[in-house]
Amino acid sequence: MIDGLVQLFIWQGLGELVSKLLLPNIPGPVLGLLFLLAFLLIKGEVNQPLAMVADGFRQHLGLLFVPASVGVILFLPDLKTHAFAVSMALLVSVVLTIAVTALVLKFFAKAQQDE
Amino acid sequence: MNERLPIAEIWVYLSGSPLFALILTLATYQWGYLLYVRANRNPVVNPVAISVLLATLTIYMLDMPYEKYFEGAQFVHFLLGTATVALAIPIYRGFKNLKGKILAMLAALVVGSACGIASAVGIASMLGAGDSIVGSMYAKSVTAPIAMGIAERIQVSPTLTAVFTVITGMLGAILAPFIMNFIKIKPWWIRGTAIGVGAHGLGITRAFSVNEEAGTYASMAMGLNGVLSAILLPVVVSYLRA
Repeated sequence: MIDGLVQLFIWQGLGELVSKLLLPNIPGPVLGLLFLLAFLLIKGEVNQPLAMVADGFRQHLGLLFVPASVGVILFLPDLKTHAFAVSMALLVSVVLTIAVTALVLKFFAKAQQDE
Repeated sequence: MNERLPIAEIWVYLSGSPLFALILTLATYQWGYLLYVRANRNPVVNPVAISVLLATLTIYMLDMPYEKYFEGAQFVHFLLGTATVALAIPIYRGFKNLKGKILAMLAALVVGSACGIASAVGIASMLGAGDSIVGSMYAKSVTAPIAMGIAERIQVSPTLTAVFTVITGMLGAILAPFIMNFIKIKPWWIRGTAIGVGAHGLGITRAFSVNEEAGTYASMAMGLNGVLSAILLPVVVSYLRA
């Protein structure tokens, strides 16, 4: 497990470094992700310790954004005032995102079949 | 008074160290996760929402400033970046199964995401929500760790973004099956991709619980959506604000 974590930290560190020095617009961890992806594509396999840590993260990804979300306490008055706007915006956009993504894929899948 | 003193001292010690915030964060999540598993992983019983609710209530009742809580909880928060890097693994696994679907996926992702962002930002600002709320609508469909990185870059509240992201994930995971049935979408890979774009982490969990293929595509879609949004959103937002 430590082995996998160390690998991730190194890729993250590399990402942060490149983000600081060359590409300040892209978050370091995203660059780290891209570097690791390139590495995996070249190697052609995911080593066991890395897969283990990654699956662990995937399963409990939610835990990691609890600290930030608790900050909602600072925005409660603001959110209360605009409760209707917030709920409408979230609801409509979720339905639209999912429906439109699916419909575009359906369109492409059909076009491929027709060829 | 004398009897209460030792407890008070322990209390001061605990709240002064990061331990209290860490325990609060992990224990409430653990409890939420337990309930979630008991409820057969029903997306309504969301462990993150439960944890946030309990932790917020606790620090509110203890009159603990959020900054103080975060001092301790930041050790958990720090791992967001590492979790982001780990998203490379599901994307890589997805690549192996793609077989010529990548262009369709990218196109669907961009169009779907853009519709989601435009409608969220548009409705929120039309209904008169303030700048901080409207701004936090931009990155809310992206998986939380990346969303918060984007929020920092486009100078909106990472906190509100995280909260909207969690709510989006819950709504998406709950509604997706109904939406799919309504527009009559059957193939698992399309269902998976759509839920990964619309409901990120929670959508993936839901997808995996229904069908393995859907889960793989959902993970991949979420990762790609995150990467693309991280690269494109700051550019688009700065263009819109100019």
